[in-house]
Amino acid sequence: MIKKYRSIALLLMLISLHSFVLTGTGFAQQVIQEEKSGITQEEESQDKITPGAQNIKESIGIFVFVVWMWVAIFVLIYIMRLKIKEVDRLFEIRYLSEKKK
Amino acid sequence: MKEQGMKKGFRSWLDERSGLSTIFRFMSEKTVPQHRHSIWYYTGSAILLFFAIQVITGFMLVFYYNPTLEGANQSVARIMTEVPLGWIIRSVHSWCSSFMIALVFIHLLSIWITKAYRKPRELTWMSGVFLLFVSLAFGFTGYLLPWDDLSLSATKVGTDIPRSIPGVGVWVTKLLRGGEDVTGDTLTRFFGFHVSILPVFLLAILAVHVYLIQKQGMSTPLAEEKKGEKMKELPFWPNFVYREMVVWLILTGILFSVAIFFPPSLHKAADLMAPAPEGIRPEWYFLFLFQMLKIFPAKILFINGDTLVVLLMLLGIVAFFFLPLIDNRPEERKGKFITVIAFLFIVYAAAMTVWSLL
Repeated sequence: MIKKYRSIALLLMLISLHSFVLTGTGFAQQVIQEEKSGITQEEESQDKITPGAQNIKESIGIFVFVVWMWVAIFVLIYIMRLKIKEVDRLFEIRYLSEKKK
Repeated sequence: MKEQGMKKGFRSWLDERSGLSTIFRFMSEKTVPQHRHSIWYYTGSAILLFFAIQVITGFMLVFYYNPTLEGANQSVARIMTEVPLGWIIRSVHSWCSSFMIALVFIHLLSIWITKAYRKPRELTWMSGVFLLFVSLAFGFTGYLLPWDDLSLSATKVGTDIPRSIPGVGVWVTKLLRGGEDVTGDTLTRFFGFHVSILPVFLLAILAVHVYLIQKQGMSTPLAEEKKGEKMKELPFWPNFVYREMVVWLILTGILFSVAIFFPPSLHKAADLMAPAPEGIRPEWYFLFLFQMLKIFPAKILFINGDTLVVLLMLLGIVAFFFLPLIDNRPEERKGKFITVIAFLFIVYAAAMTVWSLL
């Protein structure tokens, strides 16, 4: 049976690999041709807007926000852990008391 | 004392009209099985969290976005440079879509591998597959909206793919583009799909999906069921929901951190007459399909390579949709073989994606 699976897996692999070795691709040629006629990367970067903080004050503000966010997340996770322990304990007690009955 | 009485009164008034207590009772009675695969249960609610973030940030962006040929790119540039914290909102929206789709893939693959679609959960799987395609459609339509040269070229290639379907292909391409080529009409059409048609579809299917999950309860993996031991269960409310909240907090933190430190850039406005720029590439979740199209031979025997690849894709989609019906004996050899296919698919998609990025 394992041999059968292996042969099917091999067949699937061959099907997926056959196109890798064959030449004369349709979409690939189209994309390569389009890429060749494209503009250079340098020209492209001039027309690109890269977002981010506009000044040092804004970047510090963002950094402080990220730090506070993670502090708040860790505090909330700590509180949630306590809550989880509590509700699990309550569930366990109820479960055990029902079992005793 | 009086305040407490008022609270109680309001609660009973609300309950009488909405029946909220029935929902809470149902939630507290609902249980979640606990086993070594329980971690996959958290992916569903995490997708919902990301969807909620998408809705909120989408509302914020739509206030400033202008879906016209002249205004689209300019309005996105304005969001990124002039609107206070606009670049963060756009970055969160962009990253969140990637996070959401990644989780939808993980969610479906985990269901595939654990065979959670077994009887009677076939319809839950099918509605989930619908949700995957709606999510992908959200990603595809959203990619064009900044109207930069890269998004225009990627949309040209993407909307050209259905053309290879025999019979209806040309019509589908025209329907998507709003004409023969990608123009301002396509932009308006994609904006309409993105903000009104797809959300309606998604909410309707989501409602059915969530209802079916509540109706059938959480599935137990086949491997765990086979053990025959009595499984430990946890109440959904509050025990499981509290655990989910921890996951939500961590994911929200990661999302915001990534969005702040790696915001997506915006290229110059698309020029319909200009040649395609370098490195045309769709979003990462379409890369394996894109690569497959790129490497496929132009002609195989007498069939056009593009047509064959699109037909293969359609066949794969149909098989994926009807997977619970195909995999009707999951514990037998056929079922194991289908699990092997799932793993092969993961390896294949990952390899093609990496290859496309090289």
